[in-house]
Amino acid sequence: MSDPLSATASAVEIATAVRAGQVKARAVAEAALARIEKHNPALGAFTDVTAMRAIDAAELVDGKIANGLDPGALAGVPYAVKNLFDIKDVVTRAGSKINRDYPPARRDSTLIARLDAAGALLVGALNMGEYAYDFTGENAHDGPSRNPHALDHMAGGSSGGSGSAVAGGLVPLALGSDTNGSIRVPSSLCGIFGLKPTYGRLSRAHSFPFVASLDHLGPFARSARDLAIAYDAMQGFDDADPAQTKRVNELTAGRITYPIPGLRIGVASGYFAGDPVAQSHVQVVAKALDASRVVTIPDAQAARAAAFLITMAEGAALHLDRLRERPEDFDPDTRDRLLAGAMLPAVWVEKAQKLRRAYRDKVLRLFDEVDAILTPATPMKAPKIGQKTAMFGGVELPVRPNMGIFTQPISFIGLPVAAVPVWLKGDDLPLGVQVIAAPWREDVCLRIAHHLETAGICAAPVAPGFRE
Amino acid sequence: MAYKPFDADALIDATAPLLHLRIEPEYRAAIKANLKTASKMAALVEQVKLDDHAEPAPVFRT
Repeated sequence: MSDPLSATASAVEIATAVRAGQVKARAVAEAALARIEKHNPALGAFTDVTAMRAIDAAELVDGKIANGLDPGALAGVPYAVKNLFDIKDVVTRAGSKINRDYPPARRDSTLIARLDAAGALLVGALNMGEYAYDFTGENAHDGPSRNPHALDHMAGGSSGGSGSAVAGGLVPLALGSDTNGSIRVPSSLCGIFGLKPTYGRLSRAHSFPFVASLDHLGPFARSARDLAIAYDAMQGFDDADPAQTKRVNELTAGRITYPIPGLRIGVASGYFAGDPVAQSHVQVVAKALDASRVVTIPDAQAARAAAFLITMAEGAALHLDRLRERPEDFDPDTRDRLLAGAMLPAVWVEKAQKLRRAYRDKVLRLFDEVDAILTPATPMKAPKIGQKTAMFGGVELPVRPNMGIFTQPISFIGLPVAAVPVWLKGDDLPLGVQVIAAPWREDVCLRIAHHLETAGICAAPVAPGFRE
Repeated sequence: MAYKPFDADALIDATAPLLHLRIEPEYRAAIKANLKTASKMAALVEQVKLDDHAEPAPVFRT
């Protein structure tokens, strides 16, 4: 049990202590703000700190407790959000220079409103790759978000600040977005847990979009239980997101301790098994789960290619006016990908959308045979900041578009995934594994993640040097 | 019928004016590289044969 004021305290530990009156929410908020002030210059995780808002929210929680009212499941838990979430009275920069000329948001995003309603305390907005078109966590305007386990290495992107803030112990909980891997890649590189829910499960309303066909939002934490509690608090229909499901809420926190025997778990072969380092991390997880089945995800390479094309085209359509009017104000890496995306033949994109439906049907049939599938989350551990190329399956390729080769074929059809952090003996940096389930079975992902954590196979320690 | 190799310059020169996009000389090399990658991705997508009834998924349900 960690001190609820410490960097290592989990969301559950903080909420339990606050709800029991053992510590004031205000003290928790002040401790988090002090850690941010001390460590953020080294990490580059935060771009905006909402100190007054956090203190006000904490006093509201403390007032409820003093009056015998329920302060919520996340009472007093400090959290932060990728800076593409609307925060009332804060400019939603979405990692860009251009958008910071826009007026401040007039209201909070839906997910922020839901976490606040559960008693959580928003302490600020987090660094990200420009317009979320990134897997590195670098940002041409705000500087890179850094990996707390090795400051000269990437945090991963595009939710780089989210990974950096949680692994660096600044907050126990953060939100990010994931279009092609932007929750799972930073989780893998920073050694934390991340949940990309089923497409359409959590409202994206009042967040800055990237690729409407593929955009998801979700949480990061240092334990599976914290992910589950945050995810449960954020569920619920929201008419403001056209892609959102009307499916009833399916709560997960009470189900993560269900036993693992009986779950049929497979390891993805072929496309996902090409890199020996990544595969060694998967095998550790597979052994702990007694997962001896081998699963072939059909057409995974083509699916990744289709996601790549849809991303280019939809991203370009979103930014077309900005590309016309202010091309010089983009990060050049983002701009030149988007400009190319504007020029794609329409039939390429339509073919990609056709493949999406057919591929989904094929992959869903796999879940007749298994309940979960394991793959690496990234093909490698965190590259160094500034590194432009790396070896992918024996071929030298650009880092920025290729860190998502294992995540893209999964989010392409909206499957829920928990990224779980694996450290092999002697590792100085972690590598994550994707635990993939059938649509709406986040409970299966989180149950396996929790089991791996309690069995000592997965762990998300605050990086040394950031524990004080 | 033999196809000509993919010509990214021709695509840029044809579409940029149509879309009112200003392509500065220093942008071109990276745009070409991205278009060449995209053409390889499109070829991968086309390798999967889909029948006439394959519905696209602009409105996607899991």
